[in-house]
Amino acid sequence: MNKRTKQKFAFFFFRLFSIIIVGILIAILGFIAVNGLKVINWEFLSGMPKEGMTEGGIFPAIVGTCYLIIGSLIFAVPLGVMAAIYTVEYAGNGKVVRFIRMMTNNLASIPSIVFGLFGMALFVKGLGFGDSIIAGSLTLGLLTLPIIIRTSEEALKAVPESYRTGSYALGATKLQTIRKVVFPCALPNILTGIILSISRVSGETAPILFTVAAYFLPSLPDSIFSQAMALPYHLYVLATSGTDIEASRPMAYGTALVLVVIVLFFNLTATLLRQRLSKNMKNK
Amino acid sequence: MIVTKNINFYYGTFQALKNISMTMEANTVTAFIGPSGCGKSTFLRLFNRMNDLIDGTRLEGECLIKGKDIYDKSINIDALRKDIGMVFQKPNPFPKSVFENVAYGLRVNGIKDKKFIADKVEETLKAAALFDEVKDKLNKSAFELSGGQQQRLCIARALAVEPSILLMDEPASALDPISTSKIEELIHDLKKKYTIVIVTHNMQQAARVSDKTGFFMLGELIEYNDTKKMFLNPDKEITQNYITGRFG
Repeated sequence: MNKRTKQKFAFFFFRLFSIIIVGILIAILGFIAVNGLKVINWEFLSGMPKEGMTEGGIFPAIVGTCYLIIGSLIFAVPLGVMAAIYTVEYAGNGKVVRFIRMMTNNLASIPSIVFGLFGMALFVKGLGFGDSIIAGSLTLGLLTLPIIIRTSEEALKAVPESYRTGSYALGATKLQTIRKVVFPCALPNILTGIILSISRVSGETAPILFTVAAYFLPSLPDSIFSQAMALPYHLYVLATSGTDIEASRPMAYGTALVLVVIVLFFNLTATLLRQRLSKNMKNK
Repeated sequence: MIVTKNINFYYGTFQALKNISMTMEANTVTAFIGPSGCGKSTFLRLFNRMNDLIDGTRLEGECLIKGKDIYDKSINIDALRKDIGMVFQKPNPFPKSVFENVAYGLRVNGIKDKKFIADKVEETLKAAALFDEVKDKLNKSAFELSGGQQQRLCIARALAVEPSILLMDEPASALDPISTSKIEELIHDLKKKYTIVIVTHNMQQAARVSDKTGFFMLGELIEYNDTKKMFLNPDKEITQNYITGRFG
């Protein structure tokens, strides 16, 4: 085989594998869509589960998942971003920072079920929140902290040093420099971290298992101290431990489709926001 | 205006400046020339304490500006940097609009009056000979300007906070010849109001814009003289050799 043919051969495989990967994604989404669309209607989206969850809708689970996303972000975004600002802008490169960074990475490698157990011990029992949206949000927040810290750190490091020196040279303090130049410039990339955590939070089942998720609730949660249903756990229930698994199978596909659409919706919103921000910030 | 006495400066154990004493007069342009790594930029950055941002540096000697030791503990660094503007080698506008770039220095120094800021922005853009070129794109990103315009924007930005001294670290080295000559003309105009210290690699530029020139080599100030004398008839042979390009 001459080297031209070899090259063609190699490129054929590179292309083939890339297409396979896209194909897998399309297959999963298509499978979920085809099976899920059969049950999607207004009642399914806006109604309560009925007849032992073989009929009716998944509205409480949608609401619960939205609460959990928002709750965990309220907790994790400020904390994570501030921690990143500290380690990148203030703490230098000493032992303390290396320790913090190591711990952040370790935090990221803890299995999510362990977060669930910890959340139960601390938030549900220790702080007495009970099985509640707040306990679940805090647990999910902990889970996403490392993602937010790490992506925020990278975002801040990517801000050119010349912006900082330019700002100092005009008599700005470090805090002013961070607030008015560094942070706005890093924001689009920080949003990437938030996108990732939204996807993570909406899909996680283990951390909410012992902290918030309810098998079935007849009504919507009325405060942050209420239990809530959530899509991934609802899906698990429908697929494994409903009253009539065969009858609730289509509902499971419907739930999966809604979950995927919610994740895609949040991702899309954040991506659009990010593109708009970076268009304002930078040269195209 | 700027007086240094026996300045020694170290990056860790490396001595970058050796016993430099020198006086720069008000309303003159002083140029620093010398081969790369000779310490001229380091020396320039002492005057607005930019070297403070680098870890592991150490300074000996005195640096007096308007009679005050700027390394004294009582000195407010932010106020010092406001009074001593700096223009960097590579244009470094902020990722903001043209207007906001110039207004930035005013805002961080506590000015909120919108009318004052708008007037000041226009005034300094005119002073930096940029206003006519950008008056229709004040709200556009600064990155849409050309390199030369960006550098003049950085000069305007520095002028907006009304400094008395302007430090320029090879301000034209990243620019084309036309932009360079615009910057040089500007330096000529600015001299009336500001004391300017400029680091340059370009001999002709030093000869064109400066009143006095300091020649640095290996951390030492070899010769400091009137620019005319320096380029026609320097006191030292080594200066002559450098200026005529026999080494460098």
